[in-house]
Amino acid sequence: MPKTSLQFSAIADNLPIIRHFVQTHLKSMVSDPIRINQVTVAVEELCANSILHANKEDPEKELRLELRLQGSVLHIYLYDPAPPYDIHAYPAEPKLLRAGTNRPGGFGIYLIRRIIDRIDIRRRKGGSSVYHMVKDLSA
Amino acid sequence: MQIEVLQDGGANELHLALRGELDALTAPKLYEQLTQLVQGKPGISQITLHCRELTYLSSAGAGILLMCMDNFAPKGITLGLTEVQPEVYNILDLLGLTKLMSVTHA
Repeated sequence: MPKTSLQFSAIADNLPIIRHFVQTHLKSMVSDPIRINQVTVAVEELCANSILHANKEDPEKELRLELRLQGSVLHIYLYDPAPPYDIHAYPAEPKLLRAGTNRPGGFGIYLIRRIIDRIDIRRRKGGSSVYHMVKDLSA
Repeated sequence: MQIEVLQDGGANELHLALRGELDALTAPKLYEQLTQLVQGKPGISQITLHCRELTYLSSAGAGILLMCMDNFAPKGITLGLTEVQPEVYNILDLLGLTKLMSVTHA
């Protein structure tokens, strides 16, 4: 799988489509179902943040997810029309309960950090963003 | 995701089978249904979620499980997961939830 991509609008209904896309392509590269699930979860969490928070479920906004395999290293790119948020600014540990609410928070970003080897975020011309996650599938 | 009430529970127990994928789309449905069931069954002390056919768990799903646990605890209700598939167990474990609630493997 040298390179494959999926374009989707910023609606939550697309989350199952995104994860099935990732699962399908990972199955051709990885035999460990736990590893496949971990990477799928990390990609879905990144996309969910962009869909639900950065783009506020605006169906007019289009995102593109790209998977590239270089040797055993998977590069995951998410092209997002919204400005980037700093994933590194979030607390290292998830909040079991958000202050003033009874809802937990930060689980998605915490999972991304636990699963993915590296994530870089770049602001593009015009204010859009590219998230680049790297995972060595042989490790 | 499908939620089925199983009939093998005692008077103080509620057993539910979860089938499918628990994510940002389906997690609110689980919370709503669990809350309704708890309200409709006073005196309940144990809820067991049978997860053999739960195939996927995202952070939103894990968050709802934690929220249910926290909301039910003051009512004297314990929430547990059983027959959890390895992939789902791994996500719960990464989040540290296997230390906060009873979770057993499939």
